[in-house]
Amino acid sequence: MYRYDEFDAAFVAGRTAQFADQVKRRLSGELSEDQFRPLRLMNGLYLQLHAYMLRIAVPYGTMRSQQLRKLAHIARTYDRGYGHFTTRQNIQFNWPKLKDIPDILAELASVEMHAIQTSGNCIRNVTTDQFAGAAADEIIDPRPVGEIIRQWSSIHPEFSYLPRKFKIAITGSPHDRAAIRFHDIGLQAAANAAGGVGWEVWIGGGLGRTPMIGKLINSFVPHEHLLSYLEAIMRVYNRYGRRDNKYKARIKILVHEEGLETVKGQVEAEFSEIRGGVLTLPQEELDRITAYFAPPDFIDRGAAKIDVAFESIRDPAYGRWLDNNIHSHRQPGYASVTISLKPIGGAPGDATDAQMDAVADLAERYSFDELRVTHEQNLVLPHVAIDDLRTVYDGLVEAGLAEGNTGLITDMICCPGLDFCALANARSIPIAQEISKKFAAPERQKAIGELKIKISGCINACGHHHVGHIGILGVEKKGGELYQITLGGDATETASVGKILGPGFEADAVPEAIERLVDAYIERREDEGETFIDAVRRLGEAPFKEALYGAG
Amino acid sequence: MDILTGNELISGGTVYLDAAGAWVEDLQAARLFGKDETEARDAALAASKASGRILSLEFEEVEMTEAGIVPRRLRERIRAKGPTAPLTLRGIPYDRQHLDEDGHVSI
Repeated sequence: MYRYDEFDAAFVAGRTAQFADQVKRRLSGELSEDQFRPLRLMNGLYLQLHAYMLRIAVPYGTMRSQQLRKLAHIARTYDRGYGHFTTRQNIQFNWPKLKDIPDILAELASVEMHAIQTSGNCIRNVTTDQFAGAAADEIIDPRPVGEIIRQWSSIHPEFSYLPRKFKIAITGSPHDRAAIRFHDIGLQAAANAAGGVGWEVWIGGGLGRTPMIGKLINSFVPHEHLLSYLEAIMRVYNRYGRRDNKYKARIKILVHEEGLETVKGQVEAEFSEIRGGVLTLPQEELDRITAYFAPPDFIDRGAAKIDVAFESIRDPAYGRWLDNNIHSHRQPGYASVTISLKPIGGAPGDATDAQMDAVADLAERYSFDELRVTHEQNLVLPHVAIDDLRTVYDGLVEAGLAEGNTGLITDMICCPGLDFCALANARSIPIAQEISKKFAAPERQKAIGELKIKISGCINACGHHHVGHIGILGVEKKGGELYQITLGGDATETASVGKILGPGFEADAVPEAIERLVDAYIERREDEGETFIDAVRRLGEAPFKEALYGAG
Repeated sequence: MDILTGNELISGGTVYLDAAGAWVEDLQAARLFGKDETEARDAALAASKASGRILSLEFEEVEMTEAGIVPRRLRERIRAKGPTAPLTLRGIPYDRQHLDEDGHVSI
């Protein structure tokens, strides 16, 4: 894992001291709220419905045990004993007090963490595949380039006041687990004709009120020119992105309104000016950063196998966990473990301080001190020996984290919604809880198979509803809440945006509506091998619409 | 009828202006402003802003019912009571944010 050099450490320490002084001046009345608000937002501090919310960056979703323990400590000492992991692989605390923020930031800095650029119209935390550096299907580990992008984009003076926020996602695998086509810039590892590895660059994707699938602007940018190419895109966006209308300010609107070819021409012109300049990435620098992400000292365990069928008979819950929460590792004898933060009836993405400590202990002992946050609001132990899986599972059972539901209907993405968020129009957590309870039976979840439900409490789409196989969007209607249901979204390499099926539902009718969609799928699927999204693509929306609203 | 509400600076907690000019946690203690009390509304808003201690100030429409003051907007009803999600990690409902000793403000 990357460790701060003297520049990182000095920068974070400086910002922590600076913001501590700003908080002090705000509390003394020297700074007004109008003066203080942009300063606190630059440091990830929002004011939500009930309290402040502090959003802490987890660069490319990677942490070591010490850092998660620190988050547990912060939850216990300064908040209410839990944290909420987000779709941007970050963590949020919902109840901090302003006077404690300087101490919290100092605690974070002590473990090389911060909350900078988790808000505001700047380049936000770079996100990536949660199995980076571990996945069997990976072309290249994206984290070194992710780290280089982090360094380049941190307090970049030219890009601190963009027309709007800007999100970059990167994946080293052809199977997109980072939703790169729904980011302002998506990077996907690619090989050229000569066998070299570089990056496909996708541009103008996004969710929110205007969902767009990213467009391929360049099919191969070599490592050495990647920063120059990204800078060229940022300059074009900074110059031509709309600042007159907040809702049309994202780069997706620029690409949509101007056309990909126009924007591509502008980017290429800018790129030709700066290519080969100061942003050229020397191979030795790439090698230096890559060394931080060297594979751990795996032990040659041969091709250790686990008899899932046998284990399932002995212990069905363990069998389910093996079936769903284990991901193939590139190193024989190892696996990546997804730790579900979706207990039945729970708030998706939440973990207590004790749970964070437990995961940190397991990561330290059984995953080479590494863990990940997923954009689907779960945690991952990336490098677990297959021989240790049972021990890890037992540890997770003890911590209340052994739900074997990864990728199933109860593994929902869900934003905080109107229970917490100042922007939301409707609640989302209670909807997720009721759906989770309705589909709690493990046999039923297994029979349904892979199905991604994503829930947002407003059109800003933090809950990624547009790309849910089933999406749920809460809206306000006549002072109450109403939930629109979309069908057919997909955040992966087969990207698609879900379509609204019809009129919305009252909150208490949503779980049953989801059940009718699921039943329609079960009835009409070709066989158990045809997933929900495949069936939707084959059948179209008509049978699902009928299931919800009747024939007519 | 309206109430004046905001968030207290230090805790961020939801507070209401009461009849004595204090900012309090209890919605039922909130001062009720008639729509035509323009002068009183402007004065309360100005004094609250001047204190620098209350953020996100807003007048919110309420109804008087047998149960007391009820905000018209769901958002405000949630602000008054705290998050509604029925189950948390610890199996108890979320509580709203409370003011600390240093969180009491008057105008």
